[in-house]
Amino acid sequence: MHCRASWHLNKAARFLWWSIFLVVLGVSFRISQVDIGSLIGGLSQSFALGREMLPPDFSRGKQILILAAETVAMGFWGTILGMIISLPLGFLAARNTAQNWFLYHLSKTLVTLLRSIPDVIYAFFFVTAFGLGPQAGVAALTLATVGLLGKFYSEAVESIDEKPVEALAATGSRGLSVIRHAIVPQVLPLFMGYNLYLLDHNIRVALALGVVGAGGLGVELFTQMRGFHYQKAAAILVVILVIITAIDRVSAYLRNRIIKGGFLQPGSRSRDAALVGAIGLFTIVSFYFMPVDLKEMAAGAPRIWEFLKGMVPPDFSRISVYLKLMLETVGMGISGTFLAMVLAVPLGVLASRNVSHHPLIYNLAKEITNFLRAMPDLVFALIFVVAVGLGPFAGVLALGLNTAGFLGKFYAEAIENVDPKPVEAVEATGARLPQRIFHSIFPQVLPLFNSYNLYILDRNIRYSTIMGLVGAGGIGYELVMTSRMFEYRQMAAMLLVILATIMILDLVSAYLRKQVV
Amino acid sequence: MVKVANLRKRFNGLEVLAGINLRVKKGEAVALIGPSGSGKTTLIRTINGFVIPDAGTISVGGEEINYRDPESLRQIRKKIGMIYQLFNLVERTSVQVNVMAGALGRLDRGLSLLSSTVGFFTRREREKARELLSFVGLEDKAGERVDRLSGGQKQRVAIARALMQEPELLLADEPIANLDPKASRKIMELLLRINQEKKITLIAVLHHLDSVRDHFQRVVALKEGAICFDAATRKLNDHRIQDIYTVDEEIECIAAQAGI
Ligand SMILES: Nc1ncnc2c1ncn2[C@@H]1O[C@H](COP(=O)(O)OP(=O)(O)OP(=O)(O)O)[C@@H](O)[C@H]1O
Ligand SMILES: [Mg+2]
Repeated sequence: MHCRASWHLNKAARFLWWSIFLVVLGVSFRISQVDIGSLIGGLSQSFALGREMLPPDFSRGKQILILAAETVAMGFWGTILGMIISLPLGFLAARNTAQNWFLYHLSKTLVTLLRSIPDVIYAFFFVTAFGLGPQAGVAALTLATVGLLGKFYSEAVESIDEKPVEALAATGSRGLSVIRHAIVPQVLPLFMGYNLYLLDHNIRVALALGVVGAGGLGVELFTQMRGFHYQKAAAILVVILVIITAIDRVSAYLRNRIIKGGFLQPGSRSRDAALVGAIGLFTIVSFYFMPVDLKEMAAGAPRIWEFLKGMVPPDFSRISVYLKLMLETVGMGISGTFLAMVLAVPLGVLASRNVSHHPLIYNLAKEITNFLRAMPDLVFALIFVVAVGLGPFAGVLALGLNTAGFLGKFYAEAIENVDPKPVEAVEATGARLPQRIFHSIFPQVLPLFNSYNLYILDRNIRYSTIMGLVGAGGIGYELVMTSRMFEYRQMAAMLLVILATIMILDLVSAYLRKQVV
Repeated sequence: MVKVANLRKRFNGLEVLAGINLRVKKGEAVALIGPSGSGKTTLIRTINGFVIPDAGTISVGGEEINYRDPESLRQIRKKIGMIYQLFNLVERTSVQVNVMAGALGRLDRGLSLLSSTVGFFTRREREKARELLSFVGLEDKAGERVDRLSGGQKQRVAIARALMQEPELLLADEPIANLDPKASRKIMELLLRINQEKKITLIAVLHHLDSVRDHFQRVVALKEGAICFDAATRKLNDHRIQDIYTVDEEIECIAAQAGI
């Protein structure tokens, strides 16, 4: 069984693909201002900024801690509200529990649409509608969570074993009772795992949302960076680093326990219980720091309606500017992905246990990868805008470094799962390590690498639209400017351009996926 | 060519090699037999350095293996071509690319290291690969992807890869265990032809005693990690075979029953 894949293409088609790839890459470099000179300059400027940040200045430690608690609370609230909304949507959007054709497609489309827009765009939207503050952040996180959890939940429901469902249906039970007794027990561990993942994800996103004014630590970071207080900003970065590392560890541990079914089982019950207790306590404490006022949020709803009304009809008079900016945005996404690929190959190789025999190198590569992945891309963007100046190049660096973390992890996992037999055979010829990597490992992982690259490309083009919110190039900057001037109809036109671009790119990437994978 | 002295190896307390002494002369062909778990694979893997023995020494071509020095291991491995039961080819690439991998150990310095790593080989190397492919009868398959070949063809690619090393010694661990009788015979004939024409020493682990009788002059049998037979093939009579393949536990079991 062979699927239609690249090795079936003849030489001419291969040549064509390579040419397209190189031309697209060249044009992207051009429009996002990436060249050798800018890369070298960027490196030295970043080091210069790094030096100015040392040592971190913790004089505002107390405010930072309060804001950190607020950030975590935003993540919790967004996750919990998102969970509540996703629960019915997940079942409605699953084929096997859908109530009727209309509701199925409505909920599925809603979830897909919510997922296709970057979270920060929601935050930006709600800040414009609600005003500055954590309420806007929570609302944004909620919508983004529904986009992800709605999909995860419905896929989990669709993948269940149907036998217990049929057995129960045969006894005459129907509807909610079947869901309650035959489906929920099966999907509960999966749901819990996804919830934890989203909590982890949302707290990280919450760290960045403040950059557009939606509450939390990001606000403070943005203020200090813009005020040239780099040592104070460094203190915030340290706190962010501690938070993301701690959360990464705890959630990886808990998810692992839940998926393996060992959660709260004898042996580690007290440790698990202590962890859950700590999270619970932390939740209560952080709610104290940010009492989310649901009433106030509800009161904001009519304002959103007003705001939406102010957006119609969209004003397309500056469409040519938007299209040009959109091109720059896409170029940033492509350049950023290429940068990520280039960085991720050595990171991935060094972070795989079967290649990197030295534990020090292995752990170092793994920690760097984790750090790059966990750091929100907007935080990177904020730093690089200061280091290398406004413009798309800062965005390319931010996207590239952040997703080098993702790709590095994916690459390493692929490398750790290669068939070891040919690897040993090549080693048995007396080949050196680099020869072994190129001749026995890369040929095995290349198709996987390609599919990961496409996934990251897809994501980067989506997220390149938000880089401009902090001045790192692309259409985002124009979006901020227009909103400051209350030109909501122009804003609507821009959002539509973004949405249309994302949809077209979805089609393109689906096509490419079929070609390459 | 190969000298094994007092070789011992334990895995988690289990004694797998219990003091092996073995000499194989240059150009010899030796069949290695023995019941499952008797340590054949472990012995082969200590000779090419993938298993580190607890005690004893091995020298190949007059050079003793220093298991603690990766460079010494690499130099030993360059001399040894390895043939596996499951071929161990890189499935997603072409026959040609797999055969070229055999040259990597030789191209381990300077510019040729760099170019061979990224897949560029000199015309001489490429022609050598082509010659070897026609030697194993696959001259028309050079561009084919390995996963489209039959088992017998794959094993011939693996043999070409091993020959690409210009080895002094071929180690084959059950090279025909996954092949049909016809392909098995062809592979065995090919291995013996290499042994005779190219004067490459051959040690082959085999389960099929008919193949052993057809092709080898000397047989070494392992049992519970020790050599229990090492002589000319014609001395391998039914009684000996029974001896080699009867597991002691069965005897103990019978003895235990008799005791009751
Ligand atoms: N890496 C290892 N770790 C632990 N035990 C091992 C390892 N390699 C081999 N063994 C054990 O050593 C014993 C001998 O194994 P070996 O593979 O050498 O036997 P063999 O003679 O090749 O058997 P077969 O004919 O089944 O291939 C077995 O009991 C096996 O389980
Ligand atoms: Mg074996």
